[in-house]
Formats: sequence, C-alpha cells, structure tokens
Amino acid sequence: MIDPITLDFVREKIQDIGTAEQVRSNRIRITTTPGRIRDVIRSVQELLSCDRLLTISAADNGKTLELIYHLTGSHRMVVSIALELPRDAPQVPTTSDILPPAGIYERQIHDLFGILFQGRSDLKKIILNEDWPENEYPLRKDWAPDPGTFYGGIKGERV
Amino acid sequence: MPEVIVPIGPHHPALKEPVNFKVIADGEKIIRLDLDLSYNHRGIEKAAEQRDFIRVLPLIERVCGICSHSHTTVFAKGIEELMQLEIPLRAQYIRTIIAELERIHSHLLWLGVAAHEIGFNTLFMWTWSDREAVQDTLEEMSGNRVHYGMNEVGGVRRDLTPEQVNAALVRLPVLEERVKKYVDMVNNQKTLLVRFKGIGKLSKEEALKYGAVGPTARASGVDYDVRRDDPYLVYADVPWNVVTDTNGDVYGRTRVRIGELMESIGIVRYCLENLPEGPIRVNAPKTAPKGEILSRYEAPRGELVHFIRTNGTDKVERVDIRTPTLANWTSVAMCLVNQNLADIPVIVAAIDPCLSCTSRITVINSDNKKEGLINFDVLRKRFRTRYQSPERP
Repeated sequence: MIDPITLDFVREKIQDIGTAEQVRSNRIRITTTPGRIRDVIRSVQELLSCDRLLTISAADNGKTLELIYHLTGSHRMVVSIALELPRDAPQVPTTSDILPPAGIYERQIHDLFGILFQGRSDLKKIILNEDWPENEYPLRKDWAPDPGTFYGGIKGERV
Repeated sequence: MPEVIVPIGPHHPALKEPVNFKVIADGEKIIRLDLDLSYNHRGIEKAAEQRDFIRVLPLIERVCGICSHSHTTVFAKGIEELMQLEIPLRAQYIRTIIAELERIHSHLLWLGVAAHEIGFNTLFMWTWSDREAVQDTLEEMSGNRVHYGMNEVGGVRRDLTPEQVNAALVRLPVLEERVKKYVDMVNNQKTLLVRFKGIGKLSKEEALKYGAVGPTARASGVDYDVRRDDPYLVYADVPWNVVTDTNGDVYGRTRVRIGELMESIGIVRYCLENLPEGPIRVNAPKTAPKGEILSRYEAPRGELVHFIRTNGTDKVERVDIRTPTLANWTSVAMCLVNQNLADIPVIVAAIDPCLSCTSRITVINSDNKKEGLINFDVLRKRFRTRYQSPERP
C-alpha cells in the first residue's frame, strides 16, 4: 500500500483539465467537461495510479444530466470525476477503450438515461428488456409510464 | 469449423435466476460472449426516489435475497454520514455480526452451488446443512431468515439478548470444525481439484484491467477489500485478515471463500464476545441535508457501491446501486474465452452471480385495464374454490 494522495498532489497533476476538491478524508472530486473526460481519466490512471474503476454513477438533476466516474488505486483514495451534460442532446466520448469495465456501465447508463457514448457501436440494451420502446429513459426525472405505450412483456389479456 | 452461436439462458444452468448469454463457439471452444443481463428488471432505483428514509430501507433490503443486510447497511451508513449521525457502538457491533453471518451463509451457499455444478451433490448437501445453523442464528437474532430487517437510519431495530449471543457462541465451534473439513476437501479431494484447477483463469493484470471485485479479484492476487481499505462499522477494531490467493482460477476462488469463512467466524466470535453495552439506536432527523456520497461496502460477492444524493428532503434525490455481480461480468466474459463449453456453469458460478441484485427495473403495462396484480385475498379465494367445488374453475 502506498501513501494516500493529497489534494495538492492531485491539483498539481491534473493542472487545468479539471478542478479538484476534497469532499471527505479519502475522497477527492474532480469537476471537468465532457470534452476533457478522456484526458482526465488518462491523467488519473497514469499520474495518480488509479487502476480500478468502481462505477460510473449517473444522475438527473433536473437541468442537466451528470456522470460521475469513481476510480481508486493502491493508495485507497477514491477519485471521483464529475461532468454535466445537456438534457436535450447528452453526448460524451466513450472511455471503454481505456477503461474496460466502463463498457458495461456505459451500456446501462445509455439504457436508463439515454446518454450517448460517442465512439461505441455496441450500445444495445443490457439492463432493459429488448422490447422496451426507444427514446424512453426511465430514470430521468421527467419520465412517467405512458398508458398507451407497450413496455414489453406479454401483450394482451392475461389470465 | 465454422463459429456457432449457442444461446444460454435466460434461465442460466447454474442459477435459478435469469441471465442471457450468447456464446460464440468454435467446436467446444468458446470464442466470445455476448451478455444480456436484465430479463426481469424491477425499478428499485426509481421507486427509492418516492419513499422517505423509513420506508425506503425495506425496499433497499429487497434488492437482493442474499446480501439483504449489505444493501441496507451501505445505504444507512451513507445517509447517516450525510446526516452526521454518530451511531452507538453496540449497534455497529450488531450490524457487523449480522454482516459476517450473512457472508458465512452466502459463502456456504456458494460452495454448495459450485459443488452441485460439477455434480458433487454430497458436498452440496453438507454445506447447505451447515448453512442452516447460520440461518437459525440469523433467525433467532432478527426474526427472519432472508430479509433481516435489522437496520434503520440511526442504528439497529433489535437488540441481542444474552441467550441469543450464547446460542450463537455454542454453534460457532461446530461450524468451524465443519469448515476446516471443507478446507481439507478443497485442497485434497480429487473431484474438486480436477474440475476447479486451471478452469476460468484470470491473471492479476486481467482482474485489475477488467475490474473484477471481491473473491474473484482476490483469488487472482488483487489485494482489495473495502473492510480494510475504507473501514466502516467496527472492522478497524476487530482482528482479521484479508484472504488472497494466487491461483486465479475456480480453485483459487474457492480457496478465498473458504478462507473468508474462517475469518468471518473469527469476526463474529470476537464481536459476540466483546459486544459493548449501550443503546442500539439514536433518533435520526427526518430529513437529510443536501449532499452526495459514495458509500462502499464489502458484500459477500465483492465491493458494493451506493451513490446517494440527497436534496434536503426526507427522500433521496438519487440512489445509484452498483452491485458486485455487475462489476464481475466483464471479467467473466474475458475468462470464458478459450475455455470449454462444458465449463460455463462452474466458471459463471465461480463469481457467485446474483442477478436479482443486478436487475432493478420493472415494467408496468397499464394499457389493458384487465391486466394487473392479483391481490392475496383474490388468489386465496381462487385456490379455496378450486378445492371446494367438484369441478375445477
């Protein structure tokens, strides 16, 4: 186990591609933009020796959609990288090539929030059923089931 | 030989839960794997946004039928941290005891399932009979076998009586002897060695690269365990060791789980013997201040993560649940490559997949008025009439 990384160390390493703050003794949060996410992930991997993606969290805050990438490494600090996306056309470059575990999370987020990960051709449904209608993203705040829409399962009368 | 697509699932050979693979095989060799996880998604994350902190815990508990305590603990500890609540030590000990008993029963269950997958049903029967002793302990302590309902925001809901503590302490040495027997079997029993050794190999580099968690990762020598790395409850005060192995195959994963069984028995014994006196809960405020937290927990299957965001009300703004099984699928897809088709059940079972955890969205179809839920009374009436009338309705 190596020494925990400090906030100053993180700030020095990521420089101007994101702003870092310490939110808890073992959590550091970096805020960045969609265009810079790949650079930040690479810096965090190489300069902050984070070798492990915990998860990608997604949230809808009403105005924008947010993605938060949580990474950790042998120093046991969790580095969270947050970015915001516009609700009308949420797009962000994929990180699944530089961060293989991201693949499954990106497909899940695409299903539930409709965020498009640019550069991926295999964003087919993984969490929702295959007959789920297109353009319905159930974890967005403004989503409600529409009585006229078929959401999959068995059609017609059930005994 | 041309490539052949073999669909496996949605009813998986290893489990009574749905998952769908498309295995692309050349002869008996696996080339690639396509995953489709959710056959039956339940919408727990959406439903959690509608319930206050008292009502949300029973829902969160039902994310999983095995790690039920894991989910409520990770959620409650996240909310408590946001509320800046200090939880009484006794409550933390009780949470730890239940958590480790849960790990013991889960690992015993897994060992049985793995043995069953290779046709070794005697071991399956043995481990499951030992698991009953753990289930009995959990039932005595919580009143329930599956959803213990022990946690609430602010502490635990039931105290342990001296009788319960003693009953558990009497069972532990017997259980320990039995587990020692399994340690011996796993290392020496030919049937197990032949089917487990060298199967589903995952190197340390691959385990790290593909984000494997829990016993799957630790069996490949990846030394991560949240209980030590980001200590919660009383793990920092209890003597125990992180179990790792260097084999990286199904054999290694078995050895890690067996080793963890011994460690967990030690933790439970320590907590029972050193259970401090005092209150078991504090009164929690109704609302949590605006904030967000990434709450981590070492569930039996690996690291469980709840990302919680609160907005100053009595409900969560968002809870994002990342279960260990979801994290492990990427590595399973990798370690199946070049393996034999017949080894699919045991390799998949080796991560101890828990699909009910992974599927959390439901489909509500309301276009047809006749369709809907049948309530319990109607159902009972149907069965009653079936047995009463001479003709079946």
